[in-house]
Amino acid sequence: MTKRLSPIQLGIVWQRLTGLMDEVAQTFVRTSFSVVVRENWDLACSLMDADGRQFAQSSRSIPSFIGTMPRTLQGMLQRYPRETLEPGDVLISNDPWLGTGHLNDITMVQPIFRGDSLVGYVGSTFHSVDIGGAPSVTAKDAFEEGLCIPVAKIRRRGEENEDVIAFLRENLREPDETLGDIRAQFASYVLAANRLLQLMQEEGIEDLTEITDEILDRSERSMRGTIEGIPDGEFSDSVTADGFDTELTIRCTVRKTGSEIEVDYAGTAAQVPWPVNCVMNFTFAYSAYALKCALDPAAPNNDGCFRPIRILAPEGSLVNAQRPAPVWARHLSGHYLPFVIYRALSQIVPERVAAESGSPLWNVYFKGVGRNDRKFVKMFFMSGGYGARPGSDGPSTLSFPSNVANTPIEQFENAVPLIVTAKELIPDSGGAGQFRGGLGQRLSFRSASPQPLSFVIRHERVKNPPGGLLGGLAGAKGVDLVNGEKIPAKTAMTLAAGDVVTFETPGGGGMGPPDRRDRPALLRDVADGLVTAEAARRVYGADLAEGQ
Amino acid sequence: MTQAQVTIGVDIGGTFTDLVMLEPESGRLFNEKVLTTPDDPSRGVLEGIALILRGNGVAPAQVMRVIHGTTLVANALIERKGVPTALVTTAGFRDVIEIGREWRYDTYDLFIGVVEPLVRRALRFEVTERVGPDGAVLAPLCDDSVEQLVAALRGVEVEAIAVSLLHAFKNGAHEQRLRDRLAAAFPERTICISSEVMPEIGEYERTSTAIANAYVQPIFRRYILRLSQGLKAMGIARDLFLMQSDGGTVHQSTAMDFPIRLVQSGPAGGVQATTLIGRLAGEADLLCFDMGGTTAKACLIEGGEPTRSTDFEVARMFRFKKGSGIPLKVPVVDMIEIGAGGGSIARVNRMGLIQVGPDSSSAVPGPACYGQGGADPTVTDADLLLGYLDPGSFLGGDMALDRAAAAAAIEARIAGPLGLSVTEAAWGIHETVNENMSQAAGIHALEKGRRADRFVMVPIGGAGPVHACQVARKLRMRSVICPLGAGVASAFGFLASPMSFEFVQASVSALDGLDIAALRRMFGELEAKGRELLSKAGIDASAFGLRIQASMRYQGQGYEVDVPLDPKAVAPGMQAEDLQAALQAAFEGAYRALYGRIETGMALEVVSWRLVVASPYPDLVPQAAAAGDGDLAAALKGRRPVYDGDAGDFVETPVYDRYRLAEGMSWAGPAIVEERESTLVIPAGSRARIDRFRNLIVDFSYPAA
Repeated sequence: MTKRLSPIQLGIVWQRLTGLMDEVAQTFVRTSFSVVVRENWDLACSLMDADGRQFAQSSRSIPSFIGTMPRTLQGMLQRYPRETLEPGDVLISNDPWLGTGHLNDITMVQPIFRGDSLVGYVGSTFHSVDIGGAPSVTAKDAFEEGLCIPVAKIRRRGEENEDVIAFLRENLREPDETLGDIRAQFASYVLAANRLLQLMQEEGIEDLTEITDEILDRSERSMRGTIEGIPDGEFSDSVTADGFDTELTIRCTVRKTGSEIEVDYAGTAAQVPWPVNCVMNFTFAYSAYALKCALDPAAPNNDGCFRPIRILAPEGSLVNAQRPAPVWARHLSGHYLPFVIYRALSQIVPERVAAESGSPLWNVYFKGVGRNDRKFVKMFFMSGGYGARPGSDGPSTLSFPSNVANTPIEQFENAVPLIVTAKELIPDSGGAGQFRGGLGQRLSFRSASPQPLSFVIRHERVKNPPGGLLGGLAGAKGVDLVNGEKIPAKTAMTLAAGDVVTFETPGGGGMGPPDRRDRPALLRDVADGLVTAEAARRVYGADLAEGQ
Repeated sequence: MTQAQVTIGVDIGGTFTDLVMLEPESGRLFNEKVLTTPDDPSRGVLEGIALILRGNGVAPAQVMRVIHGTTLVANALIERKGVPTALVTTAGFRDVIEIGREWRYDTYDLFIGVVEPLVRRALRFEVTERVGPDGAVLAPLCDDSVEQLVAALRGVEVEAIAVSLLHAFKNGAHEQRLRDRLAAAFPERTICISSEVMPEIGEYERTSTAIANAYVQPIFRRYILRLSQGLKAMGIARDLFLMQSDGGTVHQSTAMDFPIRLVQSGPAGGVQATTLIGRLAGEADLLCFDMGGTTAKACLIEGGEPTRSTDFEVARMFRFKKGSGIPLKVPVVDMIEIGAGGGSIARVNRMGLIQVGPDSSSAVPGPACYGQGGADPTVTDADLLLGYLDPGSFLGGDMALDRAAAAAAIEARIAGPLGLSVTEAAWGIHETVNENMSQAAGIHALEKGRRADRFVMVPIGGAGPVHACQVARKLRMRSVICPLGAGVASAFGFLASPMSFEFVQASVSALDGLDIAALRRMFGELEAKGRELLSKAGIDASAFGLRIQASMRYQGQGYEVDVPLDPKAVAPGMQAEDLQAALQAAFEGAYRALYGRIETGMALEVVSWRLVVASPYPDLVPQAAAAGDGDLAAALKGRRPVYDGDAGDFVETPVYDRYRLAEGMSWAGPAIVEERESTLVIPAGSRARIDRFRNLIVDFSYPAA
């Protein structure tokens, strides 16, 4: 039995655990083979104790992956119970209902043994751009969307399971890239296990759960502390997603009682035969993440933070879809969840929330034949404007609630036969307000491929713009164009050589009434062309003749 | 007093300007310190030089070289005090610098701020042109748009113009034409082009670097001209040399073209001093640990060379977090910096645990023990209560420390809330900051593909020695080498640095597609350019050496591993196959050491070449100290109770006077060794010894793992 932990020792151990997971993520990223991992950092690495409770993760992580990991582990353990695991085993799955909600995210977990006893698990989730199949905006069920890897041991006692590898290689368009990323994680797990065991030895820790108990309890107390300071009550609001054939309402009710918060999505649209359905894991992850950002952002993230939080969603609804609903583009619903929660919270704690951002995240898949005559699939992310906050403008083009970096144009053009002709801010796209929303961006791509080059988009906010809060106005809607003509926001099309496709991402919503905007700030925006003189007059009611 | 030639190193710090003068013939060193003159730092430098010459009876004509490091460039960026600057870029891309990389450096902060570009949007201009990813011209530079640009630039008040066009690192012809046209139109304005400042891939970072260079160049130039005129007026006829961020020194004219390369000038000097100290002590693999009042920095030195990088970030706006500053692509000694210094503030966080930093009490009011009204407990307060610092001899006794104030602050903010004794709380603060530092250093080592435990620590900076041994033990290092006068290490390091200039050439090629003839030509051209830049130093060009490094990876990866290449591998007569085999073997060795595995059946590629033209390290051996009589007792100043973390109690501990320790002495810890600017804490269970250069070396042993 470990001696009673002092707060000093606990603090040191906790720091070391976080540092350890940053080392694990670094190792993964630096040896990975895909742009989406190394440039967009579309991944997360977590550490769980023997009971599967998550207590540490890499500091730069995709928010949804942090929230889904412990749930994925539980699902994996149902297939391979703890006693069937051996040192050097690695479990893999991308089952949307066990994992993050779509097939492209692959999760792997390796048990960590100390002698004969299992002391914890290291796991990671990453995005694979291709997962076989034909994911599309018209997919009617999850089977069309690609290869589903059931829970399997991809490594047994340190050796690769050739059958699983062969299955993957046979079903993927870019097997070297995806398998390269998978193997990069094997190396990072070995590091994680060694570091954790070294830490336990140096700190004299026999039973890791004593540490995790303390970490989770303290994180829970911190979250409860904030919640208690908020008035009790029930607050509802809704947002409207563009959807496919019909618009989709996402409604949420926040019930705050004592030191607990419940988010209930009753009243939300039913699941649809379009690939925008969220599984419960994903809904939980983004709801919990949104609450943490608003209520207790400084505390380290782990399962303890979420003990006072309950997320409810009706079965069969858009945000708790049942098999085999199509889910490929589930972020088109899921990324709305923080905003609808913040709309409800703005009724009680307006000082803690931001207006809506220009998301769900915009991206585009390009498919074609590259300069080396090989087929390629490349994804390109483009963020919209970030919502305004009480006290500050929203930054332009910043990823939220996801957190992916963009791909440098010079690297992108090296990889694919496309020329980017513009990457620029869109004037007046930031929602007007006392504090302005961030601006969206315009990206134009010209095909330089002699062969047809296709692209797939599934964009939201082209009908319903990101809303403002407390009197702030909405940001600009998004727009998609080919050769200057508007195209549907959810479509697959082919470009001939010389054709130009343009994407204009939405702007963030404003905060507070525009007529309260600080005049020097407005004049500066006009001088910099972020707000046009015409909009300054029309929206802000500013007479620019004077003072310029 | 002496007739021999001397060299002088000058480092401008926040409070003091440090000077070190060396007489290479005898190895004698002289130190001087004057107050920094913030309104015009050159005044303090000139005063200091006059003082050190006069004080030691040296005539100005005897000065053969002055090597200078400066924080001017970094400060201009941090304080945003550069000149009004415009940007010219490819049509469609003027917002690249504002759009940034789109990710949030803090996952949970809804109120996140982002770095504001140095050039506001109204001053960012576009020209019609386009170069493709292979360097081919897709659209020629349009003369009409250039003339429109010239007209537009006439209408704005800027002192500098940065030009950064897409793919200019592959083909800089359009940038060069623009530079020529703009220089003709605006002879009084500074023009910088990205393909010259740093020809690397990545439009955001390269543009940011070109802008930063333009933004600081006019002030830097004025400063250097003022300083060199001052030196001439004083009778020092030689030109001035400057310390670059990668630890090489260059002639003033080169420094004036690329001032951004001086962004980390001072710290690079400290690293070079560490390198020399290690060399003298027979150690080539070192961790330079520089802890001051507000931050701690660490840098690895391997095989006698500091590890380097071309990624740097200056002016981080949020908790020193990566991603919150201005990115720069410049050759730098690769350092991490975290918010952990003597002045770092300790608090109980929401988890009920001790958190130290990243914020710090500034000089005023400073730590509670300074007695200037500071109520926040700091690392220095904890160090004082644990007996590591002596209230009466801090800064040589210039500043008395107030124990009662320190204890009150720790009681009120840490011990009380946590139900700990003041001593336990102080130890908690001390241990927490040590953990911060060892963890940051450990991750840094891993990012460089090394393991910290095989390095030997050299602590510099005022607070470094107090924490060095504990941090080294956490990293399981063998030894700590503590030089005498760690406080003036940077200025000393300037003298210990080679003349060098580094080129980085991005050029992606599959390993089996390398064109050895083209490489030979490229290396030859860069080497000749480097020699030309360096020969201004008046050094025999035949003494310059050439180092080549290839950045390599498996095709499909995005991070490279640096692999050294013997220039002989591209000598006439060598075949492409030989070169490929040499690179592959070197890469696989490095990759395996780093990640514990290699990938089979994956093709390799070279992403960029780094070429350094450098003089040999100066043959600099400080005069060995006269051997003492070996009587340790004579150096004993007294004893005081000092906290021993392992024992969990105070232990009566001997305190030695650093200036009276001589070669050959050795003793067992625990012990305290005091010198004017710093205190070394030697823990129980270790052994200390003094080498012939009066370095104090502490050796640790560990139970077998």
